[in-house]
Amino acid sequence: MRTDLRLAWLFIRGSNRQEWWRIALVVAGATCATGLASAAAVLASVRGQHSFSFAAGLLNQPGERSGAIVALLLLLVPVLGFLGQCARIGAVHRDRRMAVLRLAGAEPGRVRRIAALETGLACLLGSALATAGAVAVLTAVWERPTALAWAGIALVGVGVPLLGTAAGVLALHRVVASPLGWVRRTRTRSGRGPLLLFTGGLLLVDVAALGGVTGTSMNSRGAGSNAPLVVCAAVLAVGAGAVWLTGALSWLTGRLLAARTGSPAVLIAAERLRDDPWAAARIHAAVLLVTVIGTGFAGIRQALLTELENADDTHGFAADDSFYTTGLDLTAAAIAFGLVMVLVALAVGTAESVATRRRGLAAQVAAGVPRQVLARALLLETALPLAPAVLVAGLGGLVIGTVYSVLASGTVPYLSLLVPAGIYAACLLATALSLPLLHRSVRPAELRYT
Amino acid sequence: MSTRHILLGLLAKGPSHGYELKQRHDEHFPQARPLAYGQVYTTLQRLVRDGLAEVEGTDSDGGPERTLYRLTEKGSREVTAWAGQVTPPAPFVANEIFTKVVVTILTGGDPAAHLLAQRAAHMERMRELTALKTAPGADLTTVLSADYALNHLDADLRWMTTTQARLASLTALTMEVDRA
Amino acid sequence: MSNRPAPLVAARDLVKSYGRTPALRGACLEVGEGEIVAVTGASGSGKSTLLHCLAGIVRPDGGTVTYDGKRVDLLPEDRLSELRRTDFGVMFQFGQLIPELTAVDNVALPLMLAGTARGTAQERAEEWLERFGVREQKDLRPGELSGGQEQRVALARALVTGPRVVFADEPTGALDSLAGEQVMTALVGAARASGAAVLLITHDATVAAYADREVRLRDGAVVGAEVPA
Repeated sequence: MRTDLRLAWLFIRGSNRQEWWRIALVVAGATCATGLASAAAVLASVRGQHSFSFAAGLLNQPGERSGAIVALLLLLVPVLGFLGQCARIGAVHRDRRMAVLRLAGAEPGRVRRIAALETGLACLLGSALATAGAVAVLTAVWERPTALAWAGIALVGVGVPLLGTAAGVLALHRVVASPLGWVRRTRTRSGRGPLLLFTGGLLLVDVAALGGVTGTSMNSRGAGSNAPLVVCAAVLAVGAGAVWLTGALSWLTGRLLAARTGSPAVLIAAERLRDDPWAAARIHAAVLLVTVIGTGFAGIRQALLTELENADDTHGFAADDSFYTTGLDLTAAAIAFGLVMVLVALAVGTAESVATRRRGLAAQVAAGVPRQVLARALLLETALPLAPAVLVAGLGGLVIGTVYSVLASGTVPYLSLLVPAGIYAACLLATALSLPLLHRSVRPAELRYT
Repeated sequence: MSTRHILLGLLAKGPSHGYELKQRHDEHFPQARPLAYGQVYTTLQRLVRDGLAEVEGTDSDGGPERTLYRLTEKGSREVTAWAGQVTPPAPFVANEIFTKVVVTILTGGDPAAHLLAQRAAHMERMRELTALKTAPGADLTTVLSADYALNHLDADLRWMTTTQARLASLTALTMEVDRA
Repeated sequence: MSNRPAPLVAARDLVKSYGRTPALRGACLEVGEGEIVAVTGASGSGKSTLLHCLAGIVRPDGGTVTYDGKRVDLLPEDRLSELRRTDFGVMFQFGQLIPELTAVDNVALPLMLAGTARGTAQERAEEWLERFGVREQKDLRPGELSGGQEQRVALARALVTGPRVVFADEPTGALDSLAGEQVMTALVGAARASGAAVLLITHDATVAAYADREVRLRDGAVVGAEVPA
């Protein structure tokens, strides 16, 4: 084990620029994950009524606290998606390195362990950073934190690197089967590994949310606090459906367009989609979740604000509107954070796909395929499957928002449909960020033999 | 490889006379040096003397009289044993090019220019052979013989390329040996 | 050497460096209409760079490249792309096929880029695949083809637009000798039939022997005199 750790450390130290990118992004992702999970753990450790000098008293009541916990844990979803995306950076290079290790006589399990430890070390750094931050914040806003809160933070701080390592082992399960693996061209990776990771993460978040909610809601108002749970379940259901949907739609658009199109750019994009529809689903899963949540939230927000304006303080609303507006603003900020995470993951994913294929792309350009055609194909690859998927996810979110606002005020929040449109545009922008990389990658120097 | 064994091999298909044997030889081995009639007849006589072949009879079909030869039991064993033997990989190949390079150095000539000219000649021959084997309707034996020759010429060329790169050392060595 | 056809492609005193590594130092080369020229040399002698300059894939630091009397090294990038699509056919050791496209679509791609309708492009692509004996593999992707089949599909793609010059950089480099022979026979046969010139980069003399003449490079310049045909 010590040798494995040492080897992992050597690999990290000898990393090339691309690897450093991956490590830096993993550290960033682990920092976010640890931060979110610590906050959730601390909130979950609080029992009953408690006064915080923070967030307009939003966290004082168990009911609101459970909502906050669910929100924090939901935010873990895009972060996990982001981490999964990071695992793909330099995958070809790493596969080769692992194959060389195998040829040198390392057992498959050992190679996997070394690779997972690399990820684990990066996660450790991230979680250490976030834990330090969490401790600082905790002592600042809470005079005497309970032992349970400390335990929660410690558990998360240790758990994130361990989970990262375990996820690494799981994701690499199929990669290192053969010492000569790298000789074969990288055929479609089924993507089951990352998908498994993602689903596993979702389940974990779900269970944790349940636990946290039931914990904080104890001894409180009772029946009414089931609402966050229902919303959470609905969001997850729509999200999971959307994941499946992108995959299926990618495959279907790919198939339909590849057979009929006369445009080279569409043909290339369509064939790539048909070749590996789940690659798109993986990246877009988080986009759709954010779309569902974002659209739903926009609807709810609109309804709530209307209601607040018309409220006559007789329906049991809090006297101060800022209680609600702070809550809404914080939620909006959380969703925006999730969206940024997703967009970064999308940009990283596209850049990675360009970097991996750069030699082939250079050969295409050398053979006379105009760069613009390749650039258009790259954009279409994201745009084509995402359009129907975002539409469906947006409608799902609209339904959530509508259900809420029809119950509350009887209006349908059509304005919230602007959210999926905005997210779609943002996704295209994020994809377009990799175009300069494409232009740099297709230099003829890439054609020179190694 | 000897003419004896080739003739024994050709006789294995059945009795035959000298003229026919020569023709079949040239068909089977189109890129080899063609057999001379005289060589065929003297070799056949030696085979008979050694008991490896015997005279079956004569026929004339209206033309000149021709002697039919056939394989004996002993001859059959001999040719099978020969064909089954692994050919010893040549420990030293007669290398005329190398000799000429050394002599060029000794006589104060330009070995690099010599190698370049030799390369041109080799390439020319390789082009001919390639044209021969890729010509429409080229038969398999032609292709196989051309392949064999091409690979040997290619080996020569590769040797010349490395020798070219080592000319400075070779020149120094040659001069030193000469002085000693 | 005197009766060589008028040069279709010509390079004069080409100089090109990658960073501080000089790749070409004053290389000159002429390829006549319908002529097949092999450029040989050790690795690092500048063979590929010479081909890249001639095909307009990279611009030389010094010297001139002309095609059909016009200066290639002065053309803007999109004109170069167009030239490579219409007048030139380009073939590499590997990587020139799009891994996600089927063999027939890969071959049809240059025609589609030139504006030919998909159906027509595919029909013509299939004719070329047929000619090189890989029509049965038309619906397979490059990863599902053998090395020799892949290179014959690549050859079909290079020739489908009816180019006047084919640039082939180690087209048999990754193949065994028999598969290499099939590819070379197909390349030379098709070029002779259509009158296309071929610039063939190879380190293998048995491959160079398919050409009309050999030009040898060392340290970025042509060695000695060109060998007459």
